[in-house]
Amino acid sequence: MKILVPVKRVVDYNVKIRVKADGSGVELANVKMSMNPFDEISVEEALRLKEAGKAEEVVVVSIGPAKAEETLRTALAMGADRAVLVETDDAVEPLAVAKILKGVAEAEQPGLVIVGKQAIDDDSNQTGQMLSALLGWAQATFASKVEIGNGSAQVTREVDGGLQTIDVKLPAVVTTDLRLNEPRYASLPNIMKAKKKPLDKKTPSDFGVDTAPRLKVLKTEEPSGRKAGVKVKSVAELVEKLKTEAGVL
Amino acid sequence: MYLTETQEQVREMARTFADEVIRPMAEELDREERFPAALYDEMAKLGLFGIGVPEALGGPGFDTLTYALVMEELSRGYASVADQCGLVELISTLLVRHGTENQKAMLPEILGMRAKVAYCITEPEAGTDVSGIRTTAERDGDGWRLNGGKIWIHNAPVADYGFVLARTDKDAGNRGMSIFIVDLHADGVEKGPKEHKMGQRASQVGALNFTDVRLSADALLGAEGRGFHMMMCVLDKGRVGIASLAVGIAQAGLEAALDYAGTRKQFGKAISDFQGVQWLLADMAKDIEAARLLVHSAASKIDSGADATKACSIAKCFAGDMAVQRTADAVQVFGGSGYIRGFEVERLYRDAKITQIYEGTNQIQRMIIARELLKKGARA
Repeated sequence: MKILVPVKRVVDYNVKIRVKADGSGVELANVKMSMNPFDEISVEEALRLKEAGKAEEVVVVSIGPAKAEETLRTALAMGADRAVLVETDDAVEPLAVAKILKGVAEAEQPGLVIVGKQAIDDDSNQTGQMLSALLGWAQATFASKVEIGNGSAQVTREVDGGLQTIDVKLPAVVTTDLRLNEPRYASLPNIMKAKKKPLDKKTPSDFGVDTAPRLKVLKTEEPSGRKAGVKVKSVAELVEKLKTEAGVL
Repeated sequence: MYLTETQEQVREMARTFADEVIRPMAEELDREERFPAALYDEMAKLGLFGIGVPEALGGPGFDTLTYALVMEELSRGYASVADQCGLVELISTLLVRHGTENQKAMLPEILGMRAKVAYCITEPEAGTDVSGIRTTAERDGDGWRLNGGKIWIHNAPVADYGFVLARTDKDAGNRGMSIFIVDLHADGVEKGPKEHKMGQRASQVGALNFTDVRLSADALLGAEGRGFHMMMCVLDKGRVGIASLAVGIAQAGLEAALDYAGTRKQFGKAISDFQGVQWLLADMAKDIEAARLLVHSAASKIDSGADATKACSIAKCFAGDMAVQRTADAVQVFGGSGYIRGFEVERLYRDAKITQIYEGTNQIQRMIIARELLKKGARA
């Protein structure tokens, strides 16, 4: 089985995000970028399945600017076998991403697509679900455990009420949640080897996908600052405030 | 930036590993003076030992600049950990350059930290002046017999193999010394107690004594009588390593001081709002950056095959002095807290001091710089 893992280049989770002065989005100039953490978890899961003999090849794909090649090299250094870069400087929305990934999946014929449940930049949480619908494949979202059976996968999902375990027929799309695994560090020998691993370059038009935005961003703004708290003198005053001001009692 | 994408990637990996794994355990390792065996096993799996060893011999085969980047990041986590990496780098460089096929077969064990090594030069009468060594290796059948003693040997309490500099010809001066690979579990080897040091306390340091230790012919590394020369040839890289380590200590100090200055309030505002504190921070940042660029320049010189001796001595001397001065500034920013055990900057100040002493004292570095100047002129 082949596993396809889409990875996205996003603003590093440690960066303090600043909104652009004109409110059109967040500042990306001179900001550290790295792999979406949920996608790191996806790469790790694919590698573990390969190491367990459940898969033969792990292919990573990224849709984004030329610099997204660095993100793909990181995935290759973790241990992925091959990479595909679908190069575009446009901001690509989840539906267009899903359409391109459908094209990649049709070309690669993977038994499983493992993708982060969301990217930490736009937090859309749509791509995996859209991809599964476009392909007509089963989907198992928010995975915290994945076990591959014979022609099917048993996936434990993190849902509001707790954990739900489902069986899905392969091929399928799995989206990963935070507790699925802890991604490995790329070893130095693997970083060296990653330089020689194949990386194909494509464009959205190779898959016949128009990436023009369907959504319009009206404005982007900073969350309002937290107001300072107040000190209460007594339990009675606290209860009073909970009743009258907070409205929770 | 002048770094390649791969060098950036390696640095990023080392930085993340140092932040997530090494730095959180540094205080405990310092307090307990503990050899972090499990950490080293994990680092070995990530290929963080023997960074310059070619792929054909089981290493990742990176250049000296990449080695310098890794050393700085590991040291920012904890200097003792970086120093272990530096030690393995030196030994493996010697093995790659001079080892027989048999001897090179040790490399996977050494890089995997299954065989721990020690580099044994210093003696009570021979520190900076190596020619004073009294440890001798005499011909004994087709092998050798080793007698003498070494002090302040890094890893001695835990090491499996010593790379021991011994005199093989008492009349030949610097051409009468040879390096031997000695099994430290053999008869006649005695390990002294662990020294309790000022800083870099997770590094295990102690004495080794050799009494009629029988060595096979294959224990000799490289040519007989060339030990001093072989040792000198890896010194440039060693100095780049220690200079990087010093930069890493100072960088950790700057990060800690910057964080603290932004949160510590006096006179109703953060102390980072006071110019006196800002100047401390600015001086730390500019000297760290200068030292880092000297290190990268010296490493690049080694990689280009140019004569790097002066550049390496300048980098080591500047970075060591800088680290001591600027970690002292970090303590100053912390005020009384910086003098208390358990605060990172207190440890960093102690860890920095040895960088002016080991791998050639900074007085020796100045002698080398002056010698090179007088020999080759101001622009060479």
